[in-house]
Amino acid sequence: MGTVHARSLDPLPMHGPELGIHTDDVEVVDVEPRTKQEILENKDVVVQHVHFDGLGRTKEDILGYEIADVFNAKNFIDVMQKSHQARQKLLRLGIFREVEVVIDTSQGKDALPNGLDITFEVVELRRMTGSYNTMVGNNEGSMVLGLKLPNLLGRAEKLTFQFSYGTKETSYGLSFFKPQPGHFERSFSLNLYKVTGQFPWSSLRETDRGFSTDFNFPIWKTNHTLKWEGVWRELGCLARTTSFAVREESGHTLKSSLSHAMVIDTRNSAILPKKGALLKINQELAGYTGGDASFLKEDFELQLNKQLIFNSVLSASLWGGLLLPIGDKPTSIADRFYLGGPTSVRGFSMYSIGPQSEGDYLGGEAYWAGGVHLYTPLPFWPAQGGFGDLFRTHFFLNAGNLCNLNYGEGPRAHLQKLAECIRWSYGAGIVLRLGNIARLELNYCIPMGVQSGDRICDGVQFGAGIRFL
Amino acid sequence: MSLAAEAFVSQIAAAEPWPENATLYQPLKDDQILLSDCASSLAVQAYLRMCNLPVQVSCRANAEYMSPSGKVPFIQVGNQVISELGPIVQFTKAKGHSLSDGLDDVQKAEMKAYMELVNNMLLTAELYIQWCDESTAAEITRPRYSSPYSWPLNQILAYQKQWEVRRKINAIGWGGKTLEQVYEDVSQCCQALSQRLGTQPYFFNKHPTELDALVFGHLFTILTTQLTSDELSGRIKNYSNLLSFCRRIEQNYFEEHDRDSAGSSSSRFSKGPSL
Repeated sequence: MGTVHARSLDPLPMHGPELGIHTDDVEVVDVEPRTKQEILENKDVVVQHVHFDGLGRTKEDILGYEIADVFNAKNFIDVMQKSHQARQKLLRLGIFREVEVVIDTSQGKDALPNGLDITFEVVELRRMTGSYNTMVGNNEGSMVLGLKLPNLLGRAEKLTFQFSYGTKETSYGLSFFKPQPGHFERSFSLNLYKVTGQFPWSSLRETDRGFSTDFNFPIWKTNHTLKWEGVWRELGCLARTTSFAVREESGHTLKSSLSHAMVIDTRNSAILPKKGALLKINQELAGYTGGDASFLKEDFELQLNKQLIFNSVLSASLWGGLLLPIGDKPTSIADRFYLGGPTSVRGFSMYSIGPQSEGDYLGGEAYWAGGVHLYTPLPFWPAQGGFGDLFRTHFFLNAGNLCNLNYGEGPRAHLQKLAECIRWSYGAGIVLRLGNIARLELNYCIPMGVQSGDRICDGVQFGAGIRFL
Repeated sequence: MSLAAEAFVSQIAAAEPWPENATLYQPLKDDQILLSDCASSLAVQAYLRMCNLPVQVSCRANAEYMSPSGKVPFIQVGNQVISELGPIVQFTKAKGHSLSDGLDDVQKAEMKAYMELVNNMLLTAELYIQWCDESTAAEITRPRYSSPYSWPLNQILAYQKQWEVRRKINAIGWGGKTLEQVYEDVSQCCQALSQRLGTQPYFFNKHPTELDALVFGHLFTILTTQLTSDELSGRIKNYSNLLSFCRRIEQNYFEEHDRDSAGSSSSRFSKGPSL
């Protein structure tokens, strides 16, 4: 940041509400137009006023927390940095379309010689934004309508509504989000939804209607989510030929669960990381707050990345989970774990490992899966640094197991059960990053350790996923 | 069931003999099952007993949702699942078990007509009394129907079902009827059945048919079920030949069988369902 020349003696744009002690419109001081330049870089300055220009429905108190730090700036560089940070914080609130910062010398009667005024020129988002998409897939077409009301009550609250009307199913979701003023990472949200899913690997159709409320807050380097969820789940068969084991699970259940999730993520990117680690631990206790599903579910995900020579990355992941039924009721097919697919244990079809009945996969109460990848940039790729960075080639080795445990036996028997009949696979392929949320993989896989009943995908496998092993 | 599916089912079915472990599924007997479902379930059980096909009765709280047509009862035979009396009769016929083979075409048509009468009158009347008579719905039907579920799901499901049944009742034009008119319809139906039966042991003389199973299922259930008033069973009690018809089938097919296989799962039949 070289030498900074501050603008001086320009009349300030003064519209809209402003923040700070300065209340009256500034009388434009009558001065002869003359140019005066001063190098302010190392001079001590005092931030006297901060103005907001362009505010409509936003309440000022919430902005005070975000910009408070600029008042502590001692010299001009500091002012620049702190106002830049303040700008980022303001943008993060998701209530402004644009934020511009103008730094000027103070004017008015109480102006100090080294006083500065900062003006944030903001453009608020519209009261309501809408979107409309159509989607085709899975033998179904649907139309998705979305409505978003940002900054609903003036303190960065957000109300979103999504409605999807399909040829087979309709779904909707209504969600209200409220951050704590001054601590945007601490937030609270309420969700109301209906989701319908068809799971052909289990010949199962599930309709969930639910209500959930969750609190998000950081502790040290970790992010925590505490959640209560009440869901009315309706399970049904997809076809007349659905196996009887799945048919027996049909009907209505009510799940009320408390869950806690902890995430530490030090990776530089969520989809194709070069370094850093991710640890996710999720636990769910259902049944203590009502409902007719009772279980304790523990689940973790670990990923480590290390950069090697030639821009290649070595990545290792481990997943595991355990579902303990509480009481004498067996667990529901909707709560159990599933394994297999193009972004989990590759070489096996989607969720097609483990216990099954007449070709319908029933899921398991315990699982683990691990993977080692070597990612390298595409060889001979011309668009290095551009389009080519969306792609990686990878070599992988995956392994995993999914089974039901007899909880009467000891931990030694459990470990033995999880260690026998391990499915594993190896292969190579190309990974494409889709934004920063998902990835597409095209792999050549060689599945090994296949057990009877597993459905494999020997050879080329293609798939997309948000979560990947 | 679509025609193609029906044809497919009967082809498969014909190939395999009746298995020992055939199972009939119905809602929970003591706390959940409703008069109309109990009647339909009893009709199917009577029919299978008349065919001499063994079946175990299994009570499941989610039987209605397990059924491929959403109606109870349904039977699982091997890996086939068939619901309701009509398709079950077809299915057993494909396996070579039939009660109506001895009838000529006119008798068959007559049998079908009487079965339609029972389904349209008795079954609809049962549904009307269960769901449209508010005192019965509030005191018996809704609490029983929702008994396996916890709050608030029990309320949601019971009212959802009530709304569904009322919509169906309205669609067939029974919505405007009073309870008295419904009882009158039941009386007329019973009179028709009583006249057809006359002094014969079964509707088509010596041998029972699916019509006998259906009539027995409904009449026996109505007679042995405690509702808010005795009006419904009272209407049937006016026809003595129908009463002795019920007793005859109960003795021949239920008590006798139970003596043969003491402790079978349906031994509680003589006590009747306790709605």
